[in-house]
Order: sequence, then structure tokens, then C-alpha cells
Amino acid sequence: MADPVTETTTRETSSTTAWTIGGVAVVIAIGALVRLLDQGVPAWTKGTGFGGIAAVIEYPVYAIVLGLIGNVVLTQLGVRDRLAGGFRTEFFIKTGLVLLGGSINFAVIVSAAGPAIVQAFLLITIVFGFTWWLGGRLGLDDKLRALLASAVSICGVSAAIAAAGAVQAKKEQLAYTASMVVIFALPSIFLLPLAVDALGLSQAVGGAWVGGNIDTTAAVSAAGAIVGEQALQIATIVKTTQNALLGVVAVALTAYFALKVENQENATKGRGRELWERFPKFVLGFLAASIIATIFTSVVGAAAAKPLITNVNDLRTIFLILAFVSIGLEFRVAPLKEAGWRPVGVFASATVVNLAVGLGLAVLLFSGFGT
Amino acid sequence: MSDDSEVQAERRTSLNEDWLATIVGLVLLLLVLFGVIPGWLIP
Repeated sequence: MADPVTETTTRETSSTTAWTIGGVAVVIAIGALVRLLDQGVPAWTKGTGFGGIAAVIEYPVYAIVLGLIGNVVLTQLGVRDRLAGGFRTEFFIKTGLVLLGGSINFAVIVSAAGPAIVQAFLLITIVFGFTWWLGGRLGLDDKLRALLASAVSICGVSAAIAAAGAVQAKKEQLAYTASMVVIFALPSIFLLPLAVDALGLSQAVGGAWVGGNIDTTAAVSAAGAIVGEQALQIATIVKTTQNALLGVVAVALTAYFALKVENQENATKGRGRELWERFPKFVLGFLAASIIATIFTSVVGAAAAKPLITNVNDLRTIFLILAFVSIGLEFRVAPLKEAGWRPVGVFASATVVNLAVGLGLAVLLFSGFGT
Repeated sequence: MSDDSEVQAERRTSLNEDWLATIVGLVLLLLVLFGVIPGWLIP
């Protein structure tokens, strides 16, 4: 006879899997609608009063707005939380970024790497330091300070997850840091491209500002895509460089918390292995994709490679759409209400510092880029 | 499940997703470049 406990667990697992598959299906269905609108609306509205506006609306706008509408509808139906396992923003965005690597000539990555590393190093140091200091002044818990500082200075939700593992934070602390990242990222997706336009920044400087500023990688791609193709490429290189430094910060945090906060001995053992574990592997995929496509193009010739790279770009757009839809679907306000004003104040102040320092560094390091 | 193990589980999922995205992205790139996935198949 089957063990009733095992049987119940098996039933629960298969039910969770079914809901997760349902969640993925929701993301794909909304994504298909986004693709349809992105391709169809400019043609449908041509010659009408809305035609001019429709022609400049980029796909991230449709994806996020429809994701948010889907979020409201699913919440009203009471199924959003159960489907949430299928809203895999991180998977979709990382796959999209690996494919994006396929459309960037490796020479561009090499020439942008120097300024990108300098910008990432300075921004992370300044913004992390400021957030850590302000969090301390406002009396935030050390673990929460570490999470907020990592999220705002490195790469949003994935940095918060890595930092939470490093400092052994509580699940609620991770949940509301992640919510805060998305709440601040959503308006940035639309406001930063407007600011790039208003300030008359070049594609390279605008891309570097977007990439250095917006916390979460998916939102960086959304804003970069709105600014333009070159901006998307530079924003991605800058953000990918920040992502690559995540491992270093996570290991430093682990060592600091083990040594200073928890007074553990042997805290520095096995750091090399941990550095590799925490290193975001999609960065390697992004570089490998660029190298593969660059070699492929030089072997078959630019004319033969062009239509194939266009197909890679279409596939990349599909994954980015799925990621942006997931951002809209994942959005939650509730954890912030429980957090109180202090962490929100710290995060908002850090975002302002990030904006100012990021703009200065982008202008300084990327002004002559590509000219 | 305790807070700690939930955070660790989230970290593990994130690490696995990282590898999965890298592999899926590279495989798709190669399939498109070598013509296994033709343009008309991509919506």
C-alpha cells in the first residue's frame, strides 16, 4: 500500500507543476498578444489620429502594460499567486540576453569592456557604500542593508537573491527588496528614455546611463530597447559587466557576515569555489554567443549572415517580450506596505545617487564611444 | 520550510535557471545560424 504522506506530497508536487505550467502558458499567451499588437497596431492605425503615437510605441510598453493588466485580472480571479511559479522573468531575460550577444560583434564588446568595467566598479562601490551608510544611519537591520545595497548597486532581484544567500537573510526581507526593485524599475523603464531624449544624450551615453542605473536586468533591456538598438547593446554590455561583479560582492558579503557579524572561524575557506558558484553563468553565454556569431559572420560573409542574424534578433525579441510580460505579472505592492517607510527611503535616496553618479560616469566614459 | 531553507531554495533555482538560460540561448543561436530553425518558424 502506498504511504499516505508520500502520496499527498506527490499530489502536491504535481499540482504545483501544473500551476507553474499554467503560469508559463499565461506568459506565452500574453506575449503572443504583445507580438500581434507590436506588429499590427502601426498598420491598423495608419492615417488615424492614433497612428503617429502607435508608430513610436515599442514592444516593452505593450508587454509591461498587458502584464500589469493580466496581474490585476489574475489577482481578481484569485489564481495569481498559484500561477506565479511560471512567471520566470530571470530565465526569459537571460535567454534573451544570450541571444542578444549573437547580434553584437565581439569587437564592440572588447572596446566597450574597458569603460564598462570602470563604470561598474565605481558605481557599485559608490552606490553600495552610500546605501550601506544610509541604511545604518536609519537603523536598518544589517542583513536588510546588505540586500538593499546589493539590489540597488548591482543587478536588482538576482543580486538580492545572491546577497540573501550570502548573509542568510529572511524570506520577507528578500521579498520586499525584490518588490522595491520592481516598483522603482517600472517607472524608470519609461522615464529614463524620456530623460535621455530631453538631455540630448547620444545612444552610447544613453545606453550606458540606462545600463548603469536601472537595477534589474530585464528593465534595463526594456528601457534600452525604447532608446534604440545601439543603446540596447551598450546598456546590456554595461549591465552584464555589473552582473559579472555580482560574484565578487556576494563572496565579500559572505566573508564579512561570517567574520564580523556572526564571528565564525574558517570563514574564508572555499572562497574560490563560491566565487565561481555565484558568478552569473549567462554572462559566459552572452560572450560565447557574440564570439560564435562574429566567427560565423567572418566565415560565411556579412551578406549571407545578415538574414540569419535578423532571425536571431526576432527570437531574442520574443524572449524579451516574455520577460517584460513576467515583470508586469510579478509586480506586488503588499510587501512594501509591511516594510514601512525607512527601507523605501533608503532605496529612493540610493536611486537618486545612482542616477546622478551614473549620468556623470556615462558622459565621462562613453561620450566618444563609437565615433 | 524555514526562512533559511526557502532562501537557499530560491538561490538554487536562480543558479539552475542561470545555466538553463545559457544553454537554451546558445542552442537556439546555433540552430538559427545553421538553418535548423528557419525564419518563417519564428513568429
